[in-house]
Amino acid sequence: MNEEEIKIITRGNRVITLAELFEGKEETRKEIANLQFEEKIKILVSLQRIAYSWGGKKDVIVWRL
Amino acid sequence: MKNTLKVINELREKGLIKDYAIGGGIGTLRWVEPFFTRDLDIFIILAQESKDKKLINLSPIYDYLKSKGYNEWIGQWLIIEGIPVEFIPAFGLAKESVENAIETNFEGVKTKVMTPEYLISLLLKASRDKDKIKIKMLLEQTRIDMEKLKALLTKYNLNDAFKGFINKT
Repeated sequence: MNEEEIKIITRGNRVITLAELFEGKEETRKEIANLQFEEKIKILVSLQRIAYSWGGKKDVIVWRL
Repeated sequence: MKNTLKVINELREKGLIKDYAIGGGIGTLRWVEPFFTRDLDIFIILAQESKDKKLINLSPIYDYLKSKGYNEWIGQWLIIEGIPVEFIPAFGLAKESVENAIETNFEGVKTKVMTPEYLISLLLKASRDKDKIKIKMLLEQTRIDMEKLKALLTKYNLNDAFKGFINKT
């Protein structure tokens, strides 16, 4: 059986294939790509905080917003 | 970030630079989903062409910023309002990228960001692994004017590099 034909029951009991799940993931990435520039910078700063504290990257400068 | 951009805009207002645009990671991030990056790459067109084309003097910019209290350096980055900034003099493709960058607002402050077609061309020129990831994201997540991109790739002899990139991905 083709792995991508495997079906998954997801939110709201919707049945989708694994392939559709990955397609959905790509669509979500595109939607996030359309966020406002300011929102993206806020997310970046969160990523820098995570890298600094959780990731142990003490050389990361967490930007001041 | 807003205050950093205000300071950079001042450089243009004071005539220390002719123009600038955000490129690199943050320029890319403008068009794609957020990803981790460390610094703000500012590509600048100098106010005056240097007589000696092989020597670029950024001292007037740094002297001005120092007079404003921005004198903290971490490696190659100058910290401006809490953000590590790198000023990159723009020539050739990079200069054209600045000239054709789009004006955008960041929390009410005007700034310029390079367009995806120019970013792809510049990233292709550098072609480090991290640049290739950004190219892939741009191609997948934002609308690319393929005619414009093709023209740039031809103008700057990047067709083979682009074909090589496409074949590997």
